[in-house]
Amino acid sequence: MTEAAIVSTEHLSKWYGQVIGLNDVTLSVAGGVTGLLGPNGAGKSTLLKLITGQLKPSKGAVRVLGEPVWGNPAIYLRMGVCPEQDAFYDRMTGLEWLAALLRLQGYGEREAVAAGVAALEQVDLQEAANKRIGAYSKGMRQRVKLAQSIAHSPDLLILDEPLSGMDPLARRKTIRLLRTWAASGKNVIVSSHVLHEIEALTSNILLMHNGRVLAEGNVHQIRDLIDEHPHTVCIRSRHPRELARELVAHDDLLSLRFEDGAVYVQTARPDVFYARLTGMAAADPTGDIYEVTSPDDNLQAVFDYLVKS
Amino acid sequence: MPIHRERYRRREDGLDVRGRAWVVIALQGLRALTRKRAFLYLMLVAWIPCVIRGVQIYVVANFPQASFLAVTGRTFRDFLDQQELFVFFITVYAGSGLIADDIRANALQLYLSRPITRTQYVAGKLATLMAALAFVTWVPATLLLILEPLFAGNSTFIRHNLYLIPAVAIFSLVEVAVGAFTMLALSSLSKSRWFVAVMYAGFAFFTQAIFGATRVATQSTAFSWIAAFSNLAQVGDVIFRLPPRYETPPIVSAMFLVALVVVSAAVLNRRIRAIEVVT
Amino acid sequence: MSADSTPRRPLSFLTATLRIFDIAVGQLLWSRRTVFMALAAGGPVVLALVLRALDASGVSALRVNGARVGGPVMFGGMIWLLYLRFVVPVLGAFYGTALVSDEVDDRTITYLFTRPIARGSIVVGKYLAYLACTVLVVLPSVMAAYVLLTPIGGGSIAETFPLLLADLGLLALGLAVYGAVFALIGASVPRPLVVSLILVFGWEQLALVVPGYLRQFTVAYYLQSLVPHAMPHDETMTAIQSLFSEPPSAPSSIFSLCLILVVALGFAAHALQTREYVLEQ
Repeated sequence: MTEAAIVSTEHLSKWYGQVIGLNDVTLSVAGGVTGLLGPNGAGKSTLLKLITGQLKPSKGAVRVLGEPVWGNPAIYLRMGVCPEQDAFYDRMTGLEWLAALLRLQGYGEREAVAAGVAALEQVDLQEAANKRIGAYSKGMRQRVKLAQSIAHSPDLLILDEPLSGMDPLARRKTIRLLRTWAASGKNVIVSSHVLHEIEALTSNILLMHNGRVLAEGNVHQIRDLIDEHPHTVCIRSRHPRELARELVAHDDLLSLRFEDGAVYVQTARPDVFYARLTGMAAADPTGDIYEVTSPDDNLQAVFDYLVKS
Repeated sequence: MPIHRERYRRREDGLDVRGRAWVVIALQGLRALTRKRAFLYLMLVAWIPCVIRGVQIYVVANFPQASFLAVTGRTFRDFLDQQELFVFFITVYAGSGLIADDIRANALQLYLSRPITRTQYVAGKLATLMAALAFVTWVPATLLLILEPLFAGNSTFIRHNLYLIPAVAIFSLVEVAVGAFTMLALSSLSKSRWFVAVMYAGFAFFTQAIFGATRVATQSTAFSWIAAFSNLAQVGDVIFRLPPRYETPPIVSAMFLVALVVVSAAVLNRRIRAIEVVT
Repeated sequence: MSADSTPRRPLSFLTATLRIFDIAVGQLLWSRRTVFMALAAGGPVVLALVLRALDASGVSALRVNGARVGGPVMFGGMIWLLYLRFVVPVLGAFYGTALVSDEVDDRTITYLFTRPIARGSIVVGKYLAYLACTVLVVLPSVMAAYVLLTPIGGGSIAETFPLLLADLGLLALGLAVYGAVFALIGASVPRPLVVSLILVFGWEQLALVVPGYLRQFTVAYYLQSLVPHAMPHDETMTAIQSLFSEPPSAPSSIFSLCLILVVALGFAAHALQTREYVLEQ
């Protein structure tokens, strides 16, 4: 399962009236954990909804685990879905809800309760199993949502922003759970707009922007792109002119300007530049450099860069 | 003073509300409504009776043989009676989500954290619904009143029935205000516009059905006060100087309508808060 | 990780329907809508109690020209005015439209759509839950009203009991047919409740007073022909309606109602199977 494509799409497009949600996407997702990364409105949720058969493609085709997904309920025996929305049957307890959904997966009554309890244990909710979901905190709701998606032990787990709303501890546990899950030979597709969340889960990512897949591959390559593309750094110092003189002596500097008392430099090799800057700051006993920021050290900058290139 | 002794204190210089925030809320509400195709269709259908009445006025004014269709004060009363159905549907369609949607989206706190008072917020929402309802009651009825002398070529009818001008305005206002207050009060009680619509329709039809049953059991219409819309009809007859249709004294019907508006206002006063009390 | 080596197969349509029924019954009974069901079913009973109390106290309210209004007549009026014209269509509209649209509005439908079951079974299972709940609440209410009202004015329960059975059957059929029609509307249009109210209180009322064949496209036309009590003339509309009344025979009405039920439910299941629901974020 890990070698063959678990999800493949061909010229897949989805539009909502006049708005394009996904634009001519052709991709092939291999087994293991794949991160779907992109800013809000990039088309991640639309792609996941098409992959999980909640939406019908406007154009193109999608296959999951080798089968078409729209109008094919049997596929859900092998697929678990954790949707983005914070929606539940609030009057049910966590265990009742899981057991009811497991019954729809074909489990018998006792079996469903046992599998529900096991899934709640995995997400650390065993103590809240008999509490009404309406009384759960945001983080608990996220976890019970995750529990319903893994309870029937699917081959492929699809998670839309699963870590949002979780506290750091729950986040770490969930990441560990998903890694263990993947290590047992299962497949996971997880979406997020936060790079470090995805990095913590996998090195294999799909980068989306404006309804298109911009790049796919190893997260380190994306990191390299961040590092390699011209990078702007803003340095505030008590003596900006002297600092600028020091900086221009090196050939990795592409441009330099003064603005609001700060020095803005553009470098082609941020890794080298930062190493040197750290050395300069450490060596300067007067503490001339008091602030270093990078206006484009974020995902959006990479998207902008990839779109332009 | 130790920090734990500090308390939130009321601003002493009052709230400086520039402009009329309620107008902004009302206009925004109306704009949102008119963007919906279903609402426009509903409005269009609601104007069909007005077109038919217009044709009636034209025919009567120009063809003497159609005198059996003669326009009287009752014609206008009947017209507004017919519009009740559209008033109901528009109230349900346009009114059910007015406050419920804000509660659902946690927008109530956002509104009230601006320099907008609760009264202005409610006034804005009321104005949205009342304007939409006036567009299918007062506006077409007044238009018909204007058309009559235009088609007839003289003002005899209007001069003899001058009371119709205030009657149309007062009855429209009563009808629109009762519907809007009741709907807004219900809308403030739930997060779901669907549930609000259910409550409103249930209230209207259930009271009517109970009145119908008592009517059969007692062979009398003395219990018409049970039904909200019967009270409206009863008061309407009096406003149009017609004999009341039910045996309930019109003053009793009027008191029930006033009570409905007062209870609705009290509910709105209690429910429209910037903070949500979790019970 | 959950260990599960048993290869599973998708549930059959019938099994999936029954499992959805299990979930839906709990949701229907313990929802805020229960207030309405209680009101709709309890209202007539309370009214019957009041009338019975008035009769027992000898108050003149229940006398027309000095003569008592008989209990069976009152009960017949209640069947027409409260149950047939209000409780049955309104419960059908409120619950029927909510079967699918509630899950769509609450965005919980995703959990059902991502299970190995035919989507059509969701609407059928929920419909059966609706029918079970409403029938179990409405029919006892009718029986209570009957027991309270019939003895007024010397009416005999034994003599009129077959009429009660006919009433119960008629109302159960009404709930079934209206529920199916509104389930179809709920699965097919975005604002189902408004459409349903227009259908019940607009179209059905209008079509019934128009001479010709239009009335055949209403549920009320067939249901009314099955009522074993005389239609009360409480309003102008009903007076006009009785003028043009040409009721179909009972077997033909039952056949038409069953046909409407099956077709509406079939289309509702089909709509759910093929329609795409874009959930609001």
